[in-house]
Amino acid sequence: MLRVLLAFFIAVVGAALVGSVMQTQFNLAEITALSVSVDMPTRMNTIVHDLLHFGPVFAAMLIPTLLIAFMIAWLVAKRFTRFERWWFIVGGGLGLATAFIIIDSLAPMPTLIAANRTTLGFVLMSATGAFAGWIFDRLWHPQAQELNEELPK
Amino acid sequence: MIRLWGYLAMALVLVVGALPGAAATTKTTVIATDLAFPWSMAALPEGGFVVTLRGGQLIYVAPNGNQQPIELSLPDLYATAQAGLFEVLLAPDFSSTRELVLSYACGSEAANNTCVVKGTLSAQAPYSVFNTQNIFTALPKKAGAAHFGARMTWLADNTLLVALGDGFVHREQAQQLDNHLGKIVRIHRDGSTPNDNPYKHSQASQIFSYGHRNVQGLIYDEQRDAIWQHEHGPKGGDELNKIVAGGNYGWPIATYGIDYTGAKVSPFNQLPGVKAPLYTWTPSLAPAGLALYNGDLLVSHLVGRRLQRFQYSNDSWTLTDEYLSELGQRIRAVYTSPDNEVYVLTDSAEGQLIKVELP
Repeated sequence: MLRVLLAFFIAVVGAALVGSVMQTQFNLAEITALSVSVDMPTRMNTIVHDLLHFGPVFAAMLIPTLLIAFMIAWLVAKRFTRFERWWFIVGGGLGLATAFIIIDSLAPMPTLIAANRTTLGFVLMSATGAFAGWIFDRLWHPQAQELNEELPK
Repeated sequence: MIRLWGYLAMALVLVVGALPGAAATTKTTVIATDLAFPWSMAALPEGGFVVTLRGGQLIYVAPNGNQQPIELSLPDLYATAQAGLFEVLLAPDFSSTRELVLSYACGSEAANNTCVVKGTLSAQAPYSVFNTQNIFTALPKKAGAAHFGARMTWLADNTLLVALGDGFVHREQAQQLDNHLGKIVRIHRDGSTPNDNPYKHSQASQIFSYGHRNVQGLIYDEQRDAIWQHEHGPKGGDELNKIVAGGNYGWPIATYGIDYTGAKVSPFNQLPGVKAPLYTWTPSLAPAGLALYNGDLLVSHLVGRRLQRFQYSNDSWTLTDEYLSELGQRIRAVYTSPDNEVYVLTDSAEGQLIKVELP
């Protein structure tokens, strides 16, 4: 049980970190497209700000989404055991995409996360759910060769 | 000893009362109730008021509070969420022409924006608006029902300023001068474009200023020949601005607010070439109405559920008083009538028109 909880926690944190940094790049790309230059220290400050402020909000979205998505993936994996890793990857990605659609239909604003306004942004932000699925299954049920991997010296 | 304590208490009351932003008591008189989400009002010279309801109705409120619907036809009205009927403004020569202008959301869920019509109000009750004629349509039409702006004011030369919103998901368009999203436009009452507007290009020659998010207060100050405006920031960063022709007000490249998710919209609060706000509200109080009263600015707030008073000095405004927080109501609009009386509209399904006597 502890292994499952730890795997889930690390999967949520990993997806929140990647998603936060990624949406910052989308927002800054929109600003630079308006002929405003953003230097590296400003970019780094913005990344850190968003990790601290957007990251927890995104993690709060990820927790219930991935709980449901991973339970469904687990049920499917019980029947089709060969592709377990893929069920979690696909489940995480589709689950988060579905969550975005539901949140946007319920929230007063048309699109809650600005990066999701473009198709590319929506796909990449949803892909952080797939990333979480990969992390979770990699830690929960590592494959034989993964267990034999040596830590870098 | 008791007298000493009494003097000290009196002194404390005086000191607290003199502090900037101190809550001050006011006398309020409810004129009308059960107004479903009223948005704006105008006092008629013959007495009573015209009030817009966001759902699309125009209402006559008699001085005794009695209400009568005013016949109005807006076939392309789009009313849902933030969309609907917005501002009513009497023409400067209303007493002779009976003309008024109305702003509203026009179109459909898939394609809508802010429209302005002018019409003529019949001479006596039961009132109707006839000869309605479109004088402005904000373009492009876009999907969604958020951020329409829609406040309006007449300038000294009888041209009309119409404030617009960015449509929420199109925020970058507020910096592009080929459309009306996130702009304030200036037009003649017949819908034509004044030839002394700051931009001459054909796509959007009505543009007067740009870089706005969702303008919810706009008023021309005849005494100072200045235009005052406020707009909603996202999470924080609501702004009070002085509008000048051709000015860039920064959204979304410079803002004191952050996105609702906690992410930065822009790393910059201010940038060269961007007009800095005169005052910012962080956290957001959601200012939603603006009026002049004895040379002071009155700002009503939705989330802040109060009325604030600002005094002018050195080309800026200082918060001096706060009123009406005891009502606990979202306040959509504040209005000063030609006879210098102050009224507010509360924002709810049972909205009220309230007369406020300020100290």
